[in-house]
Amino acid sequence: MPGGRERPDAVPVTTSAAPFIIETRGLTKRFGARTAVADVNLTVPAGCAFGFLGHNGAGKTTVIRLLTGLTEPDAGTIRVGGRPLAGHREEVLARVGAIIEEPRFHHHLTGRENLWVIAAVRGQLAQRRIEPALDRVGLADRAGDRVGTYSQGMRQRLGIARCLLADPQLVILDEPMNGLDPGGILELRRLIADLVAEGRTVFLSSHLIDEIEKTCHAAAVIDQGRLIAQGPIAALLGDGGSSLEDWFLALTSRVGARS
Amino acid sequence: MSRAVAGPMIAADILKLRRHRPTMATAAALSFGVTGLYLAVILARHNGQLPAPQALGDGTSLMGLYFGSFAAILIGTEAGTIDLAAGVFRDLAATGRSRTALFLTRVPAAIAVALVFTLGGFLLTVAATFAFHGPTPAPGPGLIAGSGGWVVLATVVITALAVGVGSLTGSRAVTLTAIIGWQTIASGMLYLATFLGAARDLVLVFAVSRFLPGPAIGTRANPGSSNALNNLKLPMPAVVAILVILGWLVVPAVAGAWRTRSREA
Repeated sequence: MPGGRERPDAVPVTTSAAPFIIETRGLTKRFGARTAVADVNLTVPAGCAFGFLGHNGAGKTTVIRLLTGLTEPDAGTIRVGGRPLAGHREEVLARVGAIIEEPRFHHHLTGRENLWVIAAVRGQLAQRRIEPALDRVGLADRAGDRVGTYSQGMRQRLGIARCLLADPQLVILDEPMNGLDPGGILELRRLIADLVAEGRTVFLSSHLIDEIEKTCHAAAVIDQGRLIAQGPIAALLGDGGSSLEDWFLALTSRVGARS
Repeated sequence: MSRAVAGPMIAADILKLRRHRPTMATAAALSFGVTGLYLAVILARHNGQLPAPQALGDGTSLMGLYFGSFAAILIGTEAGTIDLAAGVFRDLAATGRSRTALFLTRVPAAIAVALVFTLGGFLLTVAATFAFHGPTPAPGPGLIAGSGGWVVLATVVITALAVGVGSLTGSRAVTLTAIIGWQTIASGMLYLATFLGAARDLVLVFAVSRFLPGPAIGTRANPGSSNALNNLKLPMPAVVAILVILGWLVVPAVAGAWRTRSREA
């Protein structure tokens, strides 16, 4: 393994026949004259941890906002779990849990009440998942406290519990390591591994390349709104023996120089 | 949206409001507190007795037109903006649930919470008129029912307006200033602008006041009543008042729903 780094066990992400949980075709989003996402063809295999890499401002969060239906693309299509997002938002997103940017909550409500607010919107089944989700992220003891008293790490964990209310096929985590201490990061890594072991897909957006390398099986790189590489991490790195970080920096600087 | 989904969503919106202590404390002060203060002043002025019909009329106006309506505006505004202010709207929208549904459930939740305060304040007045009416007759059930019904109407309309405008602007400060300014200062000035004639019928306060039981302030049927609690009644046909009220319900609701759908989450 390059640089002696630990990597998650292989999952069948290299199989071309693997079903894709996310497929985008020609995905484009403009904000005025600026093109934030340009012609992105992203394919994320089901049942793996998938890293989404890019510098700050590369377009990661915009892609996530498009995937979660928070903003409409100017061009292109999105399929989640094999179904088009356009026209089927409610059904498609029913089994998607997402933390977009940082998890936000009603600070005057308790952790449990915050989950209940989202569960009420998701439906009865989600309401039954509140306690197991709190247990799973280790917040059962503090669930009756107001979120205003939570640390950043506890809010991240509550955000993940909120994702679990959907019994998600796909968990989208946008910069989930932000604000976590080393113990929290380890815990999150374990949780992601557990979710993948259950057959769920975790789509992990981060600029922390080291974390992606330790957590994910496959990855895509976005730079200046364009997807410049994607595939299993081992295949991306090739036989050069470099770390993902070196490879990413070399790749994005090459692309930056060309553009 | 099925009832099985709508019920919990409305309950969740009620939870967000009733657990918001600053809003609840302010609403309680504006309804129970102001009513209690009003009753104490009148009792002090009338040697421990209430002139029952006038006290009931004033208590009704206090809740439907004045301080009670401010509480309703506050609650409606909070309901329309609370998810945006907390940054949770994005997470609600990412569930895939229709944004129109997210907007629509705010309205009954806000109304339910607002009614606790305005009807509570009104019932406090009713109780006081029975306890302290002295030699004057206690108000009859017809007047109580009519006045209570009017408080409900006024609360529903103003709360729904606040939810709609709050959802449209996304800003508590703008919504509170705009609605309270319009309902009190602007409407009060328009009440005096007699040269506008029937055009004044389009003002919400006048349309709602059309159904307030009892005669207008300053009329021969209501001599000596308090000008401080002007009931802002204008003569207008009931059907016009109903259409104006419906307009004030529908237009802000459509605007609020549209903005909730189109807003970048």
